Amino acid sequence: MSADESQLSPHHLPSGGAVRGQRGSRTLGTSLRRAGLALLPLLRRLATMVVALFGASVLVFVVLNVLPGSPAEVILGTQATPRAVQQLTAQLGLNKPLINQYLDWMGNLVRGNFGVSYISHQSIGSQIGQALTVTGPLVLFALLIGLLIGLPLGLAGALRNGRVSGSLIGAMSQVGMAVPSVVAGLLLIVVLTVKLHIFPTSGFPGWSDPWQALRALVLPSFSLGVVEGAIMSRYVRASILEQLRSDYLRTARSKGLRVGQALRRHGFRNAAIPLVTVVGLELASLVVGAIVVENVFSLPGLGLLLLDSVNNRDLITVQDIAMLVATTVLVLNLLVDLSYRLLDPRLKGTA
Amino acid sequence: MKFSSVKRRGFNVLSSLLAVTFAAVGLAVASSSSVAMAASGNSLVIGSAVAPPSLDPTSNASAAIDEVFDYNVYQHLVELDPKGQVIPVLATGYKVATDGLTYTFTLRSGVVFSNGDPLTAADVVYSLKRAVDPKSGYPYQSLVADVSSVSSPDNSTVVVTLSHPDNQFLYNLAAYSNGIVLDPTQVANIATNPVGTGPYMYQSQISNYNVVLVANPKYWGTKPALSTVTWRYFASASTMDSALQSGQIQVIDNLDNSQNVSLFKHNSAFKVVHGPTNGKIDLTINNKSGPLKKLKVRQAISYAIDKKAILKTVGAGYGTVIGSDQVPGDPWYTPSVNRIYSYNVKKAKKLLAQAGYKHGFSLVLTLPPYGYATQAGPLIQAELAAVGVRVTIKNIAWALWISKVFEGHQYQLTIIDQVEARDIGEYGDCTYYFNYAGCKAVGTLMAAATTATTSAKEISLFRAVVHKITADAANLWLYNPDQLTVADSNVVGLPGSGLTESFNVSYVSIGGSVPAQAAAEGFSS
Repeated sequence: MSADESQLSPHHLPSGGAVRGQRGSRTLGTSLRRAGLALLPLLRRLATMVVALFGASVLVFVVLNVLPGSPAEVILGTQATPRAVQQLTAQLGLNKPLINQYLDWMGNLVRGNFGVSYISHQSIGSQIGQALTVTGPLVLFALLIGLLIGLPLGLAGALRNGRVSGSLIGAMSQVGMAVPSVVAGLLLIVVLTVKLHIFPTSGFPGWSDPWQALRALVLPSFSLGVVEGAIMSRYVRASILEQLRSDYLRTARSKGLRVGQALRRHGFRNAAIPLVTVVGLELASLVVGAIVVENVFSLPGLGLLLLDSVNNRDLITVQDIAMLVATTVLVLNLLVDLSYRLLDPRLKGTA
Repeated sequence: MKFSSVKRRGFNVLSSLLAVTFAAVGLAVASSSSVAMAASGNSLVIGSAVAPPSLDPTSNASAAIDEVFDYNVYQHLVELDPKGQVIPVLATGYKVATDGLTYTFTLRSGVVFSNGDPLTAADVVYSLKRAVDPKSGYPYQSLVADVSSVSSPDNSTVVVTLSHPDNQFLYNLAAYSNGIVLDPTQVANIATNPVGTGPYMYQSQISNYNVVLVANPKYWGTKPALSTVTWRYFASASTMDSALQSGQIQVIDNLDNSQNVSLFKHNSAFKVVHGPTNGKIDLTINNKSGPLKKLKVRQAISYAIDKKAILKTVGAGYGTVIGSDQVPGDPWYTPSVNRIYSYNVKKAKKLLAQAGYKHGFSLVLTLPPYGYATQAGPLIQAELAAVGVRVTIKNIAWALWISKVFEGHQYQLTIIDQVEARDIGEYGDCTYYFNYAGCKAVGTLMAAATTATTSAKEISLFRAVVHKITADAANLWLYNPDQLTVADSNVVGLPGSGLTESFNVSYVSIGGSVPAQAAAEGFSS
């Protein structure tokens, strides 16, 4: 703010009725403008999100419709004579112009209607809903396990940097990252279920028996979460190390604070920003990882539904799931951005 | 020192977090190991590889639907027993007129659907008319295209009239979904709530995960021994094997990888039940593509492949080597045909030289994503390389196989299990993806064979078709795979073969006994 402006501000004007009134309206205007300023980035972000979702929907639709192999052909299998395929294609409405098919699909979707599967003739919404009762908890548990492993391991790795134990932790997390969750899962199955009969090998009994449901999710969550924890520990370590080397932390230390105190009072908040980003991104990659793990453990989640729907060319189901995942990722990104502002007041007002 | 205390504290945080984690796991382990693992006495879980994409066998050709719903939930007038013989079920008997045109079925009395509706002759007429009507889109509709009328002169008789004699009519009615008898009032819900007259009825489903059947309390025949039969679907074969080993499932309907039978074969806790299927695992040849147009080239390929070795490696020896589109279950099966092209590398090389390919040529082998195909592919590649044919392998997804290979004929060689029973008529279809040049001649022979009204004539004409396609080396027929069922050793009454689309669980029990009549029909004890 320039000096001229500050001189013109109402505080420096002599008081008077007219002036007081003017001052009141100006305050109102300022606060509105302030509110607007705070909301504007959010609105802009939301608008970007809608555009991105529209783009994603077009992309998903085009890619799936370009994919060779039609639902009619898969339904008829080796009975797929050209005439039968043509007839079934017409019956399914797949001979309509693509733009109409797109508009039908989107029209339903924006109204919250996921549509009916070409293949099973059942409601896609209820199928996805059922799958989410498995994939949702699986991803959350895996993330929790990832954090429980990654945070302490990363912190220890940073604090012990340059020492043998620190290198050991680093090596451990490298190994953890290198193990694909499929292998981790199969190993866990062989040891804990076939040999020791501790957990069910696979499957999901449903939430009507919450204890059995949780038991069924233990191994899948671990095989997903352990790998996740290894990845996160690397980020945590790097982030903490960066803070440990920063000037402000040295200043804090010179003030007489011990490393732990300095980190707690100043370091963690700064280290958290890159971590929040990573957690947001990793949540998205966990959804993808869940596809693989659900296959290994034969869990009736979103991943299995997606895979089978692609194989059966159950186009609308695939499109719906793709849009659901895209929306989730974009919303997560938005939340991550918003959380930056809570963590770092300097970022207020910027998009 | 200041530093060390900090580090110790940091480490304390870490160790306490780890301790909490391990304690939680330990807790879960300790308390769960006290939970009994055994399944309850009269419920059974069957593991299977492919989940039914829909619940309606009349709108989708997927064999996974028939496996669960045919014979178990839905019944036919006549069905096939595990030996492949036609047996009366909803009919108590049938008469075929001497001209081969009229079939008169006597309807069983006292049959009710699982919802309580009594079965009437009108229901049967409705169901058969629905199967014949092209608008209803039954996947195997072409098999009943020769039905000209269906009627019921009285409430216990159904008469089907054909436009020309068809000695395969009864078999087709028994084997495929065309023969399913529906409750007309329930057809609107056929995709969500199947209702039939079978020993089991549909209870629930989780898409791509399971289908649950429960005993039908109103069943007209011998009441089923199990209260619940669940089909569980596994995308990973090794997960399915583990599930059987750990007791989560009691049966695997058909091992995806036959070699894995070694996990169960020598273990007294398990039993292996195997018997023939209708499948023919073929190296299918595009008879119109490049060098494959020449008879001598196709014959050379036929001589170059050691079928016995492929059966041993891919099928773990469970099956029968075949030499034409015929399986031991076919009435016209002729074992001598299987020896026409016995493994002979020298002969193969000579034929290639005679055909003008002394230095060989290149081919593309397109493989669908099935274990038998991806395992046999490299073996065939190696064997053809030995006679100078350079094979490139291309792996593609099933939907792509249907679209590119089957519909589009864009292939040279592929490997596929032609699973349908008695499908030799495909060689008489000039639009079929074999692009077989002899299709017209076979079409004429097939028409004569299927309309023959004496069985001697029928069999000799079918044999003529078998000989013709073999002489033309239209395809390379590798082997007829067995259905390889693995189960807990106390599970009895499993179907002893894969000759039916249905995995018939009517007589299955845990530790029970199999009725003598069912054992005679081919249900294992």
